[in-house]
Amino acid sequence: MNIYRQENRMNLPAMLYWTLGMLLGLLFFMLMFPAISKDAVVITEVTKQFPPAVIRALGLNTLDLSTVLGFYSYVFVFILLVGAIYALKSGISTLSEEIRAKTADFLVSKPVRRTEIAAAKALSVVTLILLQTIIYVPLAFVVTKLTTQQDFDGRIFLAINLTLMLLQLFFVALGLLLAVVIKRIRNVLSIALGTVFALWVVQMLNQTLADPALAYLTPFAYFDLAGIIASGGYQANYLVADIILIITFAALAGFIYQRQDMPSV
Amino acid sequence: MNVIEIDRLTKYYGKARGIIDVSFNVEEGEIFGFIGPNGAGKSTTIRILLALIYPTGGNARIFGRDCIQDGADIRKDIGYLPSEVFYYENMKVIDLLKYSASFYAGTDLHRMHELAEIMDLELHRRIDDLSYGNKKKVGIVQGLLHNPRLIILDEPTGGLDPLMQHKFFQLIQEENRKGVTVLFSSHILSEVQKICTRVGIIKDGRMVRVEAIDTLEHDNYKKFKVDLDEPVPDHYFDLPGISDLKISEQTVSFIFKGDINHIIARLYPCQVANLLVEEPSLEEIFLHYYEKEA
Repeated sequence: MNIYRQENRMNLPAMLYWTLGMLLGLLFFMLMFPAISKDAVVITEVTKQFPPAVIRALGLNTLDLSTVLGFYSYVFVFILLVGAIYALKSGISTLSEEIRAKTADFLVSKPVRRTEIAAAKALSVVTLILLQTIIYVPLAFVVTKLTTQQDFDGRIFLAINLTLMLLQLFFVALGLLLAVVIKRIRNVLSIALGTVFALWVVQMLNQTLADPALAYLTPFAYFDLAGIIASGGYQANYLVADIILIITFAALAGFIYQRQDMPSV
Repeated sequence: MNVIEIDRLTKYYGKARGIIDVSFNVEEGEIFGFIGPNGAGKSTTIRILLALIYPTGGNARIFGRDCIQDGADIRKDIGYLPSEVFYYENMKVIDLLKYSASFYAGTDLHRMHELAEIMDLELHRRIDDLSYGNKKKVGIVQGLLHNPRLIILDEPTGGLDPLMQHKFFQLIQEENRKGVTVLFSSHILSEVQKICTRVGIIKDGRMVRVEAIDTLEHDNYKKFKVDLDEPVPDHYFDLPGISDLKISEQTVSFIFKGDINHIIARLYPCQVANLLVEEPSLEEIFLHYYEKEA
């Protein structure tokens, strides 16, 4: 419990900064809504000139920019990317902390099991992600309401936003695993950026090719926002894939952490 | 009773040698010196005792229980000072110490303040801003504040000035008088000599010997320095038991292990101008030992 508390205390400020950044980014994009929604027809005409592959890669074929939720979903992709980077960074950071900061001799020599350490750390990251969701979603609702001045389906809005958390949990689990697999991690953020963008490129490829099998390779494909707007819910097969991978990665990370030699200084 | 029992402990880092077949015991209430040059395997052995790394072979027991299997439980009664101390960024000394104390049920913080007082440690400074020596003090307080029954010190004195070293040794000896067992690793022999009752010598990953410090100092070895009135004949002092033999003109010096009468008999026909017989320092014995083994 003390490790959990300590981790929360150490990582809370960073979470708040990231959340603030995400909200400011959202505000910036949403301020363009009135202008873009008015000219949505023109924009649609222009983008129709793009090669079909590009249109699909950018997701322009499925989202209607003239509606609040369509526009929000389009902007939300950037929020997803930032949120994913934060989640992956947190996951990698927490289990590699003792190795990077050379504090293993302090923490691991205490009367606690490795599994307890790993669990407390993972739980702390998850707590902060949930806290981020709790802060982000209502404020995003307020931002969207204020910038668009329109009514929209709150339930679908929530369904869209909760994909952030589901995606982040995936990246947390992936981060935990990377932390114990990669030897001698120096710069956490660069690994996180590289991984997220690589998976994002796979997603663009996936949108272009529209291959259901390829979609399993990137978590970004698990939650199709246009589909959520249309149906109001998630696709069960991808949701299950997400949950299975989260559990698998986290369990594997714990297993390896338990057996790892802590490098000496 | 043995507090630490190490049996044929072996550790390879991939193909690199850590330690090979290390065996020794540390008895309850003693201060055991663990000596060897850098890279000999002292830290490897200690880090296995704390389950920071896992052995490739053999096993180690503390308080009669397996270090790896029952590690978390055993470590309640162990205080550990690592050779290099690193702590989390942006933490104050007091926060770190309280965090450390929170791992041990029923630790009273009076002891922390008392120790900080003795070691002259400022509790409200940021750890990042501390000098190497001051970080070491944080390590010492952190390692002792929960009143452990076994203290494991890995090269503890680096960075401490002589006054602090002295206070530190007093602190350790005081704990020892209360019945605390100490495993003290060092490459500086004189400090081990000061407080240890027995020593184990490790070299190139293998235990060379374990001996009571008195035996090592007094019983076996004598350091001779002889000035003769005539040049020393070649091979005159090629006797069994002699090592570190240095001959320059009319002066001979060597370390001798064995019956001293052999040397006296050998000197008897000579014209001796001056004769000095001393207890060799542990350092000298140690160096000699290393050379012989190498």
